[in-house]
Amino acid sequence: MRDEKNAAVLLRIQSLLRDLGRERSQLLPALWRVFDEYRYLGPEMIEAVSRTMNIPYAEVYGVASFYALFDNAEGHRPIYVCTDVMCALAGSEELLKASEDFQRGTTVSVKGAPCLGHCDAAPALFDGRATIRRATKEALAAAIRGEDHA
Amino acid sequence: MPEVRRLLPDPSGTRDPVSRERLLERGFDRAMARAFSMSPDDIIGEVKASGIKGRGGAAFPTGVKWEGVRSAGGNQRYVVMNADESELGTFKDRALLEQDPLGALVGVLIAAHAVGAKKAYLYIRGEYREVEMTMAKALETLRSSGWVGTGAVDVEIRRGAGAYIAGEETALLNSIEGKRAEPRVKPPFPTVKGLFGAPTLIQNVETLANVALLFAHDVDWFRQFGTEDTPGTKLIGISGHIERPGVYEVPFGYPLADLLRDEDLGAGVRGTLGSVLLGGAAGTFLSPDEVGDSFLDYASLRRYGASMGSGALMIFNDTVKPVWVLKKLAHFFADESCGQCVPCRIGTRRVLEMLDQGGLGTRVQDMRELAEAMRDASICGLGQTAPVALLSILDRPELQNA
Ligand SMILES: Cc1cc2nc3c(=O)[nH]c(=O)nc-3n(C[C@H](O)[C@H](O)[C@H](O)COP(=O)(O)O)c2cc1C
Ligand code: SF4
Ligand code: FES
Repeated sequence: MRDEKNAAVLLRIQSLLRDLGRERSQLLPALWRVFDEYRYLGPEMIEAVSRTMNIPYAEVYGVASFYALFDNAEGHRPIYVCTDVMCALAGSEELLKASEDFQRGTTVSVKGAPCLGHCDAAPALFDGRATIRRATKEALAAAIRGEDHA
Repeated sequence: MPEVRRLLPDPSGTRDPVSRERLLERGFDRAMARAFSMSPDDIIGEVKASGIKGRGGAAFPTGVKWEGVRSAGGNQRYVVMNADESELGTFKDRALLEQDPLGALVGVLIAAHAVGAKKAYLYIRGEYREVEMTMAKALETLRSSGWVGTGAVDVEIRRGAGAYIAGEETALLNSIEGKRAEPRVKPPFPTVKGLFGAPTLIQNVETLANVALLFAHDVDWFRQFGTEDTPGTKLIGISGHIERPGVYEVPFGYPLADLLRDEDLGAGVRGTLGSVLLGGAAGTFLSPDEVGDSFLDYASLRRYGASMGSGALMIFNDTVKPVWVLKKLAHFFADESCGQCVPCRIGTRRVLEMLDQGGLGTRVQDMRELAEAMRDASICGLGQTAPVALLSILDRPELQNA
């Protein structure tokens, strides 16, 4: 079972990376393509990238683990709530607290994040693709529900 | 004096920001034609004469940097636009790229021509996915004009992945090379030994947008605003307890208090002004009195040990304890330190511990010594400047008990 799954991941990743250069400098774009597909960079993805790009596993792992946006658990979609200074002043802690209820029973994982660069419209959320400015509890709940409808 | 609009286009314009019509409206075709009719040395001479300084924080003279890259050896050179913008309280590059994506790109192309680069990278913060899409469209517009692509300059977008440190120029180079975004020891500087070991020009978004404006006009036009020492305008991101948070363009030399007060700028503090944090996480706290007699100019701010840094102006009313902000900053630095060197890795943690233990009142000497060690022995700007905001509070007892 495990081997079969890994073989499927390898095939999928080889096709995702087909038109990408094999040089080391394409590693970050490669990791993004894989992450956008799986929202998760587990050992089987790292192994597949390593084999496809011909870069040692430890090197791929070292790079992938360096970046906060690649840090996500299998089967979950991350939503980031900015908890930095300006958003904290605008109530982001309450948003984070409310999210505990909203996300129960969903596959979303809501995380605190450093400044998202939207302090003029605090509090800010990032759903992995788009930013939600002047976020409310309703907006957060909708972003979380969006996942279940996907 | 009202807001100036040079970098930021007229809000009443209806042109699609990535369209060819916008390119013409902004005079960027003229900028390209003028720059490409000039020799690289003349371009660099004009950038020097304009007095443009880097807008990413360090305010290094841009023309001097270009000269360094141009005169470095080898036949491969690169230009990198730094749009990693992850500094606390900083959002001016996002606003600029949303409103005028073509400006900074035209700056990249002029820079590439001047330093002799055939390849450029746009490194965009991973959370700025909408900006990235806008930039891809803007690139298409320039590609269809024949200014980007094979035979011209090849431009590649790189998406960051959530690491504040990747905005440090040498860390950014490592990130593009597919390595961990850990800063390199300087020297050698990127101008001499940068991307893939080749001379590399790294420039902030706003700096490059200024270059496009300069070539759409001329040095005299450029210097109409600002001071003799620092000509031009500056984008300031105002946030916090202010009626109109946002990004505003004002001339260098502008009074800080007016930024907070003017109707078409900040339009007034919400509540009673308690303190201002200028320049980002490694910025300086200013008291209301200091805000009252400071100008947006390097010499004026230096009197208070401050700098405008990335152009972040964070406003706190008197309900906010600066010590609470300091703890947030300390968390930020401890989380974002890449851990490569000991003074920063340990130091950022120690600062946090001391603040949690209420050290502001009791451990002043320890904190000062720690800050000094971090400043002197850290590899990069993160560790060197992480204690700056803390020191600014230690120097201002009036803000400690606020
Ligand atoms: C920790 C750290 C983070 C930085 N982040 C950015 C950034 O996000 N954007 C930026 O333009 N410069 C950033 N800088 C400054 C760059 O290292 C570099 O000085 C700048 O991009 C040069 O461009 P300029 O001369 O046009 O300002 C950062 C510096 C440090 C130490
Ligand atoms: S000063 Fe901090 S962020 Fe910079 S290289 Fe050292 S550990 Fe990394
Ligand atoms: S502090 Fe939340 S977006 Fe900047």
